[in-house]
Amino acid sequence: MKRRFQIPHEWYFLLPITGFLGLFVFYPLCNILIRGFIDNSSGNFTLQNYINIFTQARYMDALKNTLWFAGVCTLVGAVGGTFVGLLASRMSPKARGVLLSFYSLPMTLSSLVVAFSFVVLLGRNGVFNIIINRYLGLPRFDLYSWQGLVVTYSFYNIPLMTLTMASVFLNLDRSLVEAARNLGAKSWQVWLYVIIPVLAPGFLAGISIVLAGMLAAFGTALALTGMAKMLFSLQIYSHASESNYNIPQASALAVVLIIVIAFSLIVLNWIERRLRPGGSRR
Amino acid sequence: MKKERIITFLQRAILVFLILYIVLPLLVPIIYSFSTLWMDILPEGFTVQWYLRIFERPKYYQGLVTSLLVAFSAVALDTFICVPAAYAINRLRGRIGEFLGSAFKIFPLLFPPIVVGTGFVQAFNRPPLALSGTVILAVFAHATLGFPYMFRNVLAAFQTIDERTLSEAAASLGANLWQRFRYVLIPNVTPGILSGALLVFALSMGEFEVTTMIAGFGWRTMPLLLYRSLIDDIRAASAISGILIATSIAAFIGMTILSSRVGGGKVQTEEGMRR
Repeated sequence: MKRRFQIPHEWYFLLPITGFLGLFVFYPLCNILIRGFIDNSSGNFTLQNYINIFTQARYMDALKNTLWFAGVCTLVGAVGGTFVGLLASRMSPKARGVLLSFYSLPMTLSSLVVAFSFVVLLGRNGVFNIIINRYLGLPRFDLYSWQGLVVTYSFYNIPLMTLTMASVFLNLDRSLVEAARNLGAKSWQVWLYVIIPVLAPGFLAGISIVLAGMLAAFGTALALTGMAKMLFSLQIYSHASESNYNIPQASALAVVLIIVIAFSLIVLNWIERRLRPGGSRR
Repeated sequence: MKKERIITFLQRAILVFLILYIVLPLLVPIIYSFSTLWMDILPEGFTVQWYLRIFERPKYYQGLVTSLLVAFSAVALDTFICVPAAYAINRLRGRIGEFLGSAFKIFPLLFPPIVVGTGFVQAFNRPPLALSGTVILAVFAHATLGFPYMFRNVLAAFQTIDERTLSEAAASLGANLWQRFRYVLIPNVTPGILSGALLVFALSMGEFEVTTMIAGFGWRTMPLLLYRSLIDDIRAASAISGILIATSIAAFIGMTILSSRVGGGKVQTEEGMRR
């Protein structure tokens, strides 16, 4: 009779990770949530930190910049990754294996290494810029502009989307397309009702990862342009660790960033469910 | 005949171009680090003196040691928490397992390095946990960023070995829980643990975002030194980059060998890393 109330032994194995998550995820997050409502100098309860975000121009500008920047980066990554993924799916298995191996490399690469590398290639006296300028007579590419940041971050985003899209294209069942054609579907109908619903889940999953990453990115941007570019994540960084030290303000900004990321993930998830075959009726 | 040849040539050219897009940015810091001078299009000379500088100057040498120490400790900590957790969640299939599985997937997206850093800065700067500025905090931070990747690799390993059947067979032969782990389960999931370990190690060696937010005055990791030297010592920067690229490539080759030996057991890297 005693045995009935015994806890299955599996639950004890969850103790280390529970303690770890509690200490290093839950506890810091609670700190962020609570401190966001505290006045930096007096320590009293306040909503000022959140009001600041929506009234002060620099925070709203930073948010706008971040949304634009993340959107453009995601678009470039999506188009580039879909293109390379499509090419990869048409290659021989051996060539595809080699290509995809190389495209998995950037993921573990330090953001600063990538910054250094792009300075040598595309910086003011970068190799490509010398070639462009001397032999083609074209103006130099400015790595330290928004375009420069998009190009640099694409080194992460395009490979990431390529890996996702290559497997999505490989999973696309050609017989489905043929069946639709045989049943008299027009070309646009095949795309709208067969191909896109099959591709959509993987594509949107890839987009979610890239977009969430870009909304919060700051390492490479900090290394290339310092604080010159007004990104939302850089605002948090400057309040949390630089000269204008204001932890409560950084916390409020971090909460807003989490909400923005969560919102975009929810929207993408909603689109995915709509595109799923029969999803719109559910 | 001729048309076919042109098509194969074009295919090869595209393949080479697509590979160059990745290889060139990886190769540039390495070439830079072995050249004496690179002012124009092509580098000049060959030297290893920039690498010697890393090993001779205490600042850089200590940075390398700190980075290695932090990376190994983060791997050890992640292994310690993820192996038991993956075992348990693999057994607790159904709703809880599914929920936890997807939670670990979304976790790194919702809590990117900037948020982890902001949380760490304030959570550990006063009692009861006044750790700010210590190296141990960097270990915890890297372990926090890395555990989803370790967890996924180990869970995938548990799922492929049919753990229940193995455990039951071992139990029927009289093995207790500890013996089942020591002699049956751990040896079987080792490839998964090693893949996760290599991934966490490579991530930790290159981590800059959170590390710069929690860094103390007493220690520097390689990426922090790289950030400084980008401004004042571009030669040291190239050598540090060379070391970090070599680490990434070595970890990646290790993971490829492991996944090919397991056969079909794909390394779980897909979800990407945040910068």
